Amino acid sequence: MSKDTKEKSPVDAAAIRELAKLLDETKLSEIEIEQGGLRLRVARGGTAVMAAAPAPVPVAAAPAAPAAPAKPSGPPAGAVSSPMVGTVYVAPEPGKPAFVSVGSTVKEGDTLLIVEAMKTMNPILAPKSGKVSEICIENGQPVEFGQTLLIIS
Amino acid sequence: MFEKVLIANRGEIALRVVRACKEMGISTVAVHSTADANALHVRMADESVCIGPPPAAQSYLNIPALISACEITGAEAIHPGYGFLSENARFAEIVREHGITFIGPTPEHIRLMGDKIAAKQAVKDVGIPTVPGSEGASRSASVAERVAHEIGFPVLVKAAAGGGGRGMKVAQTAADLSVALSTARSEAKAAFGNDAVYLEKYLGRPRHIEVQVLADGYGKVLHLGERDCSLQRRHQKVWEEAGSPALNAQQRDEIGAVVTTALGKLGYLGAGTIEFLFEDGRFYFIEMNTRLQVEHPVTEAITGIDIVREQIRIAAGGALEMDQEDVSFSGHAIECRINAENPFTFVPSPGTITQFHAPGGLGVRFDSAMYDGYRIPPYYDSLAGKLIVHGRNRNECLMRLKRALDELVVGGIETTVPLFQELIKEPDIINGDYNIHWLEKFLARQKRK
Repeated sequence: MSKDTKEKSPVDAAAIRELAKLLDETKLSEIEIEQGGLRLRVARGGTAVMAAAPAPVPVAAAPAAPAAPAKPSGPPAGAVSSPMVGTVYVAPEPGKPAFVSVGSTVKEGDTLLIVEAMKTMNPILAPKSGKVSEICIENGQPVEFGQTLLIIS
Repeated sequence: MFEKVLIANRGEIALRVVRACKEMGISTVAVHSTADANALHVRMADESVCIGPPPAAQSYLNIPALISACEITGAEAIHPGYGFLSENARFAEIVREHGITFIGPTPEHIRLMGDKIAAKQAVKDVGIPTVPGSEGASRSASVAERVAHEIGFPVLVKAAAGGGGRGMKVAQTAADLSVALSTARSEAKAAFGNDAVYLEKYLGRPRHIEVQVLADGYGKVLHLGERDCSLQRRHQKVWEEAGSPALNAQQRDEIGAVVTTALGKLGYLGAGTIEFLFEDGRFYFIEMNTRLQVEHPVTEAITGIDIVREQIRIAAGGALEMDQEDVSFSGHAIECRINAENPFTFVPSPGTITQFHAPGGLGVRFDSAMYDGYRIPPYYDSLAGKLIVHGRNRNECLMRLKRALDELVVGGIETTVPLFQELIKEPDIINGDYNIHWLEKFLARQKRK
């Protein structure tokens, strides 16, 4: 092998590593360069997207509304829903422990949460005895009428 | 300008306000009862809040829920639409007290115009012509009798807390007066919680002509012309036109000037409509509505002015940019209120719309919250949509109206479209020759057939 052939090797490992590093840093999925008659292309593993520009997405035959899918019907069994619009809190005061947590056993009439509306605190009472199986809201979250707050099984 | 507005209403008018807000780049919050979860205004608004169960008292009239909805969404202003709380002075006050802007007039003016006796005196004081009648409430039967003889029979006994055609009894002769008084009082007490009544001369064949105004917070008051809303069934408007077939341009300018001068003296703010009875070339004030009206689109059609946009701009502290000379009237417009009712018996027809096609084309506007598959809930009013046509003149309007009525498709429920298809064939309607009793007489004739 002549020295020349080796120097002119088509496999420029350093350049490929450089490109791979660039790919990672820039989060691109593919880089292609052409230098000195040599074209190098480095692509992330996975499906190689070929050639042609994607077909234009057909516009869905628009019934007036974008956005919201129809609201789901019927709350799950044992759901305790909000009787009003407001902000829900899980504890009697900030810094105090929460009234209940998942797994808590509650008696009918126990305070579960507070919904604040217009500066008044409204306790939400357990409609039946049981165990809290799910808490569907986060402390301080806005809630609407009928929204499921937690589930008692 | 507001960044976020909450619309305290439902149906077609909630959609109307959402549209205006979107065009102004304002975020929208729709509120709804559980029955309206899939309503069009809810789907088109940026955010929605469920505020209660179906009954209006627990949802659309639920003031704490509405204020709460503002608080949790950060809405800076409330547009009350029409009906519901739009003319509730207490609501406007509560909204104001919470640092939220009420898109409408001041609570003081809402309260003033809501008391029909006080309103009449207030507008009289600023030069608006009124119907001859009792000065203030009729407290005793003997005083009422004297007043009635002065103004001449027949007389109308009206509830001070009424309005919108409710709480009125006619006394044709002196013999009918005491019965009319006592019936009106007890009905007023039951319906409005207030049995104060007053007397007015009963006009035999008047037209209902109302003037639309806009007033900003800088003293400018404009009128946008009149609407003729004489075609009514049980005091509910069914068909409205801009301008009135009975007025010429000079009469329009004259009554417009009287109204704008008067409201300027009152310091009114926002959109409003002054309603008159018009007979033998004379105007007689009946009441003022301190809100957006159902039939506002016919005025928009002939002036090109977006009344809801102006309401929002005025409420945000903006000044009216045009002067009265800049307000021009082009062509003619007619609106038909399409109700979800049987067209002959008027029995309400809620239910699922199986097929819906809105008419289109030049000069046709259909304001409605209906869509294919929408279920009209039974808890609220029966207005399904408003068909508004505009033409270069009234004849062109009538032709266009016929075409649009024939094109409108609403399957699955009954609507009053056939009523309008009959009306446009009537010579009196074609000639614009009708008064506020015409439609009832027409319906009575239809019933006999």
